[in-house]
Amino acid sequence: MAEIEKVEYWRWTESNWKNPDIPDWHGSLITAGVDIGSTSTQAVILADGIPYAYSNMRTGSNSPDSAIGAINWAMKDTGLTLEDITYTIGTGHGRVNVPVSNKTVTEITCHARGANFIYGPSIRTILDMGGQDCKAIHCDENGAVTSFMMNDKCAAGTGRGMEVIANLLAVRVEDIGDMSFQIDEEPAPVSSTCVIFAKSEATKLMRAGWSKEKVLAAYCHAMALRVARLLERNGMEPDFAITGGIAKNKGVVKRIERIMGVEALQPKWDTQIAGAVGAALIAKDLVEKKRAKAAQ
Amino acid sequence: MSYQKLFDTKISSDSVKAWKASGKKAMGYVCCHVPEEILYAADVLPVRLRATDCVDSSDAEAWMSSFSCSYARSILQYLMNGTYELDGLVQSQGCMMQARIIDNWEHIAKVNNKEQFTHFIGAPRMNSDITVKFYKEELQEMADALGKFTGKAVTDEAIKAAVAKTNETRKLIAELYALRKEKNPVVTGAEVLSICLAQCDTTVDEYNAMLKEFLAEAKTRKPIEGRARLMLIGSALDNPEFIKVIEEKGGVVVADYNCFGERTFGAPIELDDNDVMGSLAKYYLDRNTCPRELDNRPAIHKEIVELCKEYGVQGVVYQKMQNCECWGGETYYLEPDLKAIGVPMLQVEREEQMANAGQLAIRAEAFIEMLEK
Repeated sequence: MAEIEKVEYWRWTESNWKNPDIPDWHGSLITAGVDIGSTSTQAVILADGIPYAYSNMRTGSNSPDSAIGAINWAMKDTGLTLEDITYTIGTGHGRVNVPVSNKTVTEITCHARGANFIYGPSIRTILDMGGQDCKAIHCDENGAVTSFMMNDKCAAGTGRGMEVIANLLAVRVEDIGDMSFQIDEEPAPVSSTCVIFAKSEATKLMRAGWSKEKVLAAYCHAMALRVARLLERNGMEPDFAITGGIAKNKGVVKRIERIMGVEALQPKWDTQIAGAVGAALIAKDLVEKKRAKAAQ
Repeated sequence: MSYQKLFDTKISSDSVKAWKASGKKAMGYVCCHVPEEILYAADVLPVRLRATDCVDSSDAEAWMSSFSCSYARSILQYLMNGTYELDGLVQSQGCMMQARIIDNWEHIAKVNNKEQFTHFIGAPRMNSDITVKFYKEELQEMADALGKFTGKAVTDEAIKAAVAKTNETRKLIAELYALRKEKNPVVTGAEVLSICLAQCDTTVDEYNAMLKEFLAEAKTRKPIEGRARLMLIGSALDNPEFIKVIEEKGGVVVADYNCFGERTFGAPIELDDNDVMGSLAKYYLDRNTCPRELDNRPAIHKEIVELCKEYGVQGVVYQKMQNCECWGGETYYLEPDLKAIGVPMLQVEREEQMANAGQLAIRAEAFIEMLEK
């Protein structure tokens, strides 16, 4: 009997990175941010406020292990050890499960600060599309939150929903964005972005003869409409940017831009590290404040 | 007597049992448009119904759809499962959802051969000479029906005696709320709600005594240091755990605009000796208790803004029960008023059964971080 290939279509590419411009670091302050989300975990290490290394991986069933795994993977090839990190902030759903953290800060505060770093100080409206929730955040020129709104109670319109659709249609999650535009005409959105209902509706559409591309377009369209409502409720003020894993899915991003009539800024860094880099920056601020106070 | 009962949020039947043991009646009511004073004047113990700690309303769901207000549905559940063993139910037309409690309860009690006194009064949604006159007539009808049921006619003198006692409660509640104006208050928001809830099923004499005792000792309590001073507004909240989740994240709820808070107790009643029922009706209709009325929204928003200033509030938490008729859409009107005084607002949706503590916690924590800057 031929072996059936098991493909995990939902599995996105995990990665780590080390700043090639800083081969050996001899600065004064290393801080770290660890963002344990429901679906992915990131660790960012800053050297004097400059990204030195980071990792981006799937959150496992054990959050403390994921935190340590992410931070170790980020430190790989840097020569750093945990002892070299002066201050670590944990953020995300699992922020209380970061064994090495000195403090926890919510992902809302961290994402605003991180987006300010990734996109620059002109950023005012951030849409964080995470694994199992979605947040519309307003911030000032320093990346401080001025208002926010989160989606309620379900994974609809989030990364996990996209993963479920990827598996259902046997399409790699990273291919969804491009495929969703390979259509003659934009179809009506699926009627609900509830993951369960959307899954059954997508199945029905496939049976009705729709192509995968058309179903994906209908799903991305529905997701974009859902988060657009959240943005409208919290108010849209340019500049606008998207963080989180879904920011990499242009099938959703382009449709949000079309609905909202605004273009999202292009990121200079991996959009998934926004929370962790924000946490590491807040850690740096705290250490510097403490040092300044001690020096007085 | 110990005031510890003030902090026991569970619904207690102790006072009801003691009251009924002396041959008198105990009656439930739902909305604050039923004047307790009339019930006391008829020798009836008023029990303000609430649904605190209700974790399952599946029996009531057979009568009220899951798309109804879970607070109202949970109260019906408590009537159905015997949490409340009372002689009847007096209800006003507070909101459409809770008005369905009496509709269903009348029928359920009847088919279960449970003898219950029920009376429904119309509470106008506008305040004018005509509506006050109508409301007075409704209250008089209720007083007559209660008098007939208990055998003790409701007199002006009996109403005045009841008002003297409930006015004492109002003064004590005002003292309690004054403690919250301090820079570092000695009571948490969750504690204040517990204290207010204890009034629902306690006799006025017992409650006043406990509250006096607590207030005498309160000044010796350790001041609370919080990260942000908050105000809680919105749908009827009878669960101190909700506030506890917010306060565990570092906020201190120092003010509220809640059905179970100070505004329901209100300022002391001044009765007109020549028209006791009329002045009682006017008092109850003049209060701005919730946006159920058609003509009091600007006044309520102004009161909320003034309370923010009075209590040094840094942020407002607007909690909205799903399917809430009264507090469904205040955001659009209220938020600009709050913005004008530099007070941000956090909106959260909830159900009576608190299944989303984690979601509330993250929002509250982020809100507090935002206010700290």
